[in-house]
Amino acid sequence: MVKKAVALILLISLRIFTYYNTSAADQDPYLMTDYSRLHPVKVERVVQGKEEEQLIHLLKDAREHHLKVSIAGQRHSQGGHTYYKDGIVVDMTSYNRILSIDPKGKKITVQAGATWEDIQNAVNRYGLAIRTMQSQNTFTVGGSISVNAHGRDIRNGSMIKSVESFRLLMADGEIKQVSRSENAELFPLALGGYGLFGIILDVTLLLDDDELYSSTTETMPTVDYVHYFLAKVRTDPDIRMHIARLSVAPDRFLTKMFAKNYTLDRTEPLEEHNKLIIREPLVAPGKLLFQFNRSFDWGKSLIWDLQTKYFTEQSGELISRNNAMRAAWQFMEYDEPGSSDLLQEYFIPVQEFESFVKAMGTIVQAENLNLLNVTVRFVNQDDEAVLSYAKEDMFALVCLFNVPLSSKGQKHMEQSVQQIIDAAIKRGGTYYLPYAGYPSLMQFQKAYPNYKLFFQEKLKYDPGGLFMNTFYEQYKGGQAG
Amino acid sequence: MNMKWLIRSQSIVTLAAGMIYPYYLLFLKNLGNSYSKYGLAFAVFTISSALVSQWLGPRLDRSSTSLLIVSSLGMMGAMIAFPWVMSYGWVLILQLLMGTCNAMQKMSERQLLADYTQPGERGIAIGSYHFWTTVASGLAVVLGGYLIDWLTINVLFYISALLYGASAMAVWRMRKRVAMTPITETNNGSVAIRG
Repeated sequence: MVKKAVALILLISLRIFTYYNTSAADQDPYLMTDYSRLHPVKVERVVQGKEEEQLIHLLKDAREHHLKVSIAGQRHSQGGHTYYKDGIVVDMTSYNRILSIDPKGKKITVQAGATWEDIQNAVNRYGLAIRTMQSQNTFTVGGSISVNAHGRDIRNGSMIKSVESFRLLMADGEIKQVSRSENAELFPLALGGYGLFGIILDVTLLLDDDELYSSTTETMPTVDYVHYFLAKVRTDPDIRMHIARLSVAPDRFLTKMFAKNYTLDRTEPLEEHNKLIIREPLVAPGKLLFQFNRSFDWGKSLIWDLQTKYFTEQSGELISRNNAMRAAWQFMEYDEPGSSDLLQEYFIPVQEFESFVKAMGTIVQAENLNLLNVTVRFVNQDDEAVLSYAKEDMFALVCLFNVPLSSKGQKHMEQSVQQIIDAAIKRGGTYYLPYAGYPSLMQFQKAYPNYKLFFQEKLKYDPGGLFMNTFYEQYKGGQAG
Repeated sequence: MNMKWLIRSQSIVTLAAGMIYPYYLLFLKNLGNSYSKYGLAFAVFTISSALVSQWLGPRLDRSSTSLLIVSSLGMMGAMIAFPWVMSYGWVLILQLLMGTCNAMQKMSERQLLADYTQPGERGIAIGSYHFWTTVASGLAVVLGGYLIDWLTINVLFYISALLYGASAMAVWRMRKRVAMTPITETNNGSVAIRG
């Protein structure tokens, strides 16, 4: 009898603990949020995008009922770009067909909800590959071009450069063909437009040849990185992709780096290496290690040592472009109630890199932030997108922080991030807009001096403010109604 | 004592099954684009289970403990295989295997429950059996959730496989005891479990 009572009490205690542990708003299945799990709100409804006619009808219905519309893909943006309180969320993930492939012209047309993985799966057999993409291939095309993503490729610029045209369903229900020659004004607005100009229905993307790369990893002190990049990477046209990583281990905090280059290989035929990697290896040990990285200083040192050793030992490994463009991500999935892993990204002019890293390190340590990961990518100057983050050639520092979701924790994070952004802006840098809305309105306006034009055009194309999201509400300032 | 071992081994089975079951359903749902396809994946389980029961029936009295071991080992194999399945066809095949194992386990469990108890005195033993297997199942579901949050659903499948292996061991030990014990004592043993 005693044994049974103990077992029952244990079971009930575990249930009660789990109930309270998962009772915060970020875990509420009836509220809408994004990957950040910040600011959950109630939305009117979520509608799966299926047919063009259905979407046109949906906008008509929303206009008639004075409802706002937000557009969502995989909802990996973290600043409320994909939802709005009491609005309709159009979930485009089911609007995902591959419409046509032109192997000779190296082009593909897809519906906006197709993922980059869908494209890779479709074009790999033709020896073709994606030009520009963020590291992960699970995002939707519509989502990525709406944030004008960038990635490891150092030769093709931001994503906007690889878009040839798209069709945009406007607030008034009209569908416009948009390219650099047709309705050209909309092209640099909707790309990097955060879903504020209309629903991107389908997109024609320019592709590249799939190639075979030899990946090599080199370690170096942070102070040597800029010279290394300019002298060895930038000048070598055979290096097609590049990514670097800064140590967050406490004893080597932001002072050590390793750089991974993907160099064109001419020794072996591509066909022997172009089978797509479907399974992400070692997810469970990786997830456990990353949990140590979140929780302990020794975990940060351990993961840095293991990563450096693993990648250095793998140097010389041959990998196709399509496989290099499907980075592991499952090991970083994190659902812990009450805290979240949030990204921040800072774009810093090449020559200011070292000085910014020092300034950021001082702030992170003084504020005791839990910085999990910093990767560095190179971004070419982009004069096309209205909200361009790269006014010149920049390094992008992608920082992953583990942050508490409590209001006190969030306030502290906001103040800390604002200090880091001040340090970036002081050096002629910017920050990336798809992430949590920590930056102040003034910082936004400084980092994106074209903001006035952007919001004026938004009002011109969508005077009723049909397309709405939390990001827009936060940063439109006095510019728009 | 036999009843104690039966409860112990079958609690481990419900722990293994309970840990995977709700998450396994989500896993299956992700494989199909429609609920009908998902329904089919689940239905084949019952087909093999029903079919095999007819073949097992006449053999049950002689081989129930062996069947429990085979069932656990079969489930262990299925749990190890699931993370590696890359096609819907294989899911159906594993579902058929699991249905077969399910028939072996359910039928043997009932048969042994009857064997190890006396008519008119079954209530307490069956109550005990139900209590422990249910507690094991309830514990398993919560633990399963934490394990997936911390690790992956694949790890959950492997842990479930380990538990099925452990249950096979427990039944094997139970069978050894039965083999060494005269039949009359077995019956006495069944009464002794009340304590």
